[in-house]
Amino acid sequence: MVKEELTKNSPLRILEKATHGGLGKGNIAVIASKRGIGKTACLVHIATDKLMRDKHVIHVSFSSRTDHILDWYEDIFKEISQKRDLENAMEVHDELVKNRVIMNFNQDGVTMDQVLNSVKAMIENGQKGTDAIVVDGYDFTKNSDGDVIAKVKAFAKELDLEVWFTDSYEGEVVQEGAIPSNLKCCEENLSVIMVLKNVGGIMNLNLVKDHGNEIKEDLSLILDSKTLLIARK
Amino acid sequence: MAKDIAQMRNIGISAHIDSGKTTLTERILFFCNRIHAIHEVRGKDGVGATMDSMELEKERGITIASAATNVQWKNIDINIIDTPGHVDFTIEVERALRVLDGAILVLCSVAGVQSQSITVDRQLKRYNVPRVAFVNKCDRTGANPYRVADQLREKLNLNSVMMQIPIGLEDNHEGVVDLITMEALYFDGDENYAVRKAEIPANLQDEAQEKREIMLDALSMFDEELMELMMEEGDIPVEVIHRAVRKGTLDLELCPVFLGSAYKNKGVQPLLDAVESYLPNPMDIENKALDLDNDEAEVILSSDDSKPPVVLAFKLEDGQYGQLTYIRIYQGSVKKGSELYNIRSKKKFKVGRLVRMHSNNMEDITEAGSGDIVALFGIECASGDTFVQNGMNLSMTSMYVPEPVISLSIEPKDKKASDKMAKALNRFTKEDPTFRTYVDDESNQTIIQGMGELHLEVYIERMKREYGAEVTTGAPQVAYREAISGSVDFNYTHKKQTGGSGQYARVAGRMEPLEDKDYEFVSEIKGGVIPTEYIPSCDKGFRSALDKGSLIGHPIVGVKMVINDGQYHAVDSSDQAFQTAARAAFREAYMKAKPVILEPIMKVSVEGPSEFQGNIFGSINQRRGIIIGSTEEGAMCTVEAEVPLSEMFGYSTVLRSSTQGKAEFTMEFAKYSKVPTGISEELVKAFQEKNKNK
Repeated sequence: MVKEELTKNSPLRILEKATHGGLGKGNIAVIASKRGIGKTACLVHIATDKLMRDKHVIHVSFSSRTDHILDWYEDIFKEISQKRDLENAMEVHDELVKNRVIMNFNQDGVTMDQVLNSVKAMIENGQKGTDAIVVDGYDFTKNSDGDVIAKVKAFAKELDLEVWFTDSYEGEVVQEGAIPSNLKCCEENLSVIMVLKNVGGIMNLNLVKDHGNEIKEDLSLILDSKTLLIARK
Repeated sequence: MAKDIAQMRNIGISAHIDSGKTTLTERILFFCNRIHAIHEVRGKDGVGATMDSMELEKERGITIASAATNVQWKNIDINIIDTPGHVDFTIEVERALRVLDGAILVLCSVAGVQSQSITVDRQLKRYNVPRVAFVNKCDRTGANPYRVADQLREKLNLNSVMMQIPIGLEDNHEGVVDLITMEALYFDGDENYAVRKAEIPANLQDEAQEKREIMLDALSMFDEELMELMMEEGDIPVEVIHRAVRKGTLDLELCPVFLGSAYKNKGVQPLLDAVESYLPNPMDIENKALDLDNDEAEVILSSDDSKPPVVLAFKLEDGQYGQLTYIRIYQGSVKKGSELYNIRSKKKFKVGRLVRMHSNNMEDITEAGSGDIVALFGIECASGDTFVQNGMNLSMTSMYVPEPVISLSIEPKDKKASDKMAKALNRFTKEDPTFRTYVDDESNQTIIQGMGELHLEVYIERMKREYGAEVTTGAPQVAYREAISGSVDFNYTHKKQTGGSGQYARVAGRMEPLEDKDYEFVSEIKGGVIPTEYIPSCDKGFRSALDKGSLIGHPIVGVKMVINDGQYHAVDSSDQAFQTAARAAFREAYMKAKPVILEPIMKVSVEGPSEFQGNIFGSINQRRGIIIGSTEEGAMCTVEAEVPLSEMFGYSTVLRSSTQGKAEFTMEFAKYSKVPTGISEELVKAFQEKNKNK
């Protein structure tokens, strides 16, 4: 299978359709779940899908090492390319690497301003034409007044790109179709929200906010527990 | 008299450049009463630290050669191998690591784990060298040894455990609290040279107790008695803790962390005690040799003086009195006047002068035993040679030697310089296996090859200084490779049957790309269409075509040649005919097999203040680099990237000027990869121009 065909048939197109054409530049999306369920895998899959469509992605993380994130990308790429029998996998891989940068911030109390400054420096000097930023491991509880996310939103608009976050909520039972409470404060700035939930051993990916639209039907997407890829139910 | 092996330590001091390694070494020498004045690396008094014996090092403020120095600390005998800090000289580091049993990893308490520390640590891991960490420069502004200990854990994946806590930091750094004995150690005695023990200051009591608990927790897994004592909440004898630390360190599962400021003479003596207590003696380490009579099977050596000697020459130096060969004795003992056999050159020689080196002076000795590091005089050998008792055929494992990635043509300025240059080159190639030299048969120029720009620059400087040989250099050349990207069949007939003895050979088969290997030859010839005696001729012919590819004249790698058909002539076929046919078949097939040019890609790590990160990103981007990632920590950022070597020339100057000299970079060879089409075309064009002009 060639790259174009592969991305055309990707389950992520379902997500795009459900969200009326996708997230769109200048907007923020969040994938929320409890810890250790597979948010990072989801995020990396979404980023890889973009890379495969020749888009540029910056991955922002708050862990201590970049190689850990790199491993995620390698694993997800391997799963996708093997499962779908991708042609010229090595060449496609080398192309992806060129369009992807991982930026790591492992300092306690690093501010979003600093992060955005660095990302901007990267875009201006190394990754012109970045289409999306994916942010892994941001703690939304630190953002109790929603101010930080408003800044991110303005940044996304200014640089014309999409921003994807992950969010961990603990100690809360999020009702079907509800938005996790730690996102409530900045909800107005979030265009798309998804919740990843373990229902009887199956990881369901549910859309709980879609721009201003009413959510009519189930996404029918799950996270495959073996490959950690987003898949059709 | 040979020394007691249990009291012997062979250690290295490994560090990032400028983290104070040479200063620490200097202090260690001082406290061991071997030298009587302390000189700084960039000596204000112009004397220079004792370990940096080469002029050039004094000028650059860095340490290039690994001199071995013997010192006494209390009852133990320490051989210190001063390892160089710059990546361009890694072969020196690697060679030194080979003979070490343990290491002190020096870190700056402000800068923490830097790119170079990561490289050095990786090397220590490769050679399984147990280590203790020393967090230096605790008197500097911004010192934070706790953060460094965390970084050791996070970035180097070491089980770092603080054995001390600081008494004051920055300007107030006075001493350390020993968490094992729970004593405060001050270094304020007679000009800081004596350790004064005292009670832990009241304001540090709680912290000391807390950190001690953390330390004991981490240590309990290495000693059952310690674990039991902790569960019973009884008193824990100091010896039990020492035993646990030693076990953890030797098993490479623990990295005890010590701290201080070498410059201010703080924390050096406890570090020396740690070397004694936790780093291995030669008997703790299992060393292996290769049995050349038995297909290089591994043979375990024993540190027994009565066994036949097995010795490794790991370092050559031109001393005032001729060639000095540093050796490590792995088995048996070496006596003055005894006879040894060099495995490589297959020559016997007699041990003339045997000396123990104390930095810049030496002591003549008559015998040295297992585990010791000493030096021989006037022995003809190369570094890496193994010496054994005559009749044995053992070799120490060959050291990992990377292929050179850069070359430079050099030309002597006059006739006199020419002889001196030859002498210098002869010496350097013996000293450093990553430094190579040859005369190009086309241009008749002398070419030197090495691991990086700086690597070659240092040798050119040394040529000038030590040998008085002035040379002019050409532009640095990248070691390109050629390879094929497609498979192709070939069928070639070599025929010359007009007059005289004729030549006839036909070879046919397939040329295929090969991964992970440079060349492979497979014969699928059936029914004797090519007689058996000519099959090696085909192999030879193919091999001879590998040296220079048709694209840009660089070596070809990654080719599998399969022959499956052919023809011969009863009279006119010969070894020569088949070689010629194979060579021509290769050349013809090669151009059809979509040949590509490969270039060395370097793994580059740039470290600098975050405010300049835009410039750093930009500088890499302009060089066809791929930014893999960046890490920001405090005010510093580290950018990791892969950049073609050909784009890295002069990078240090560019980086310096765009970051006000505040950023630095390291690079090492990562892989070969395909040159982009545009650049490939330029290279081919340049090669053709060059050939045309001949």
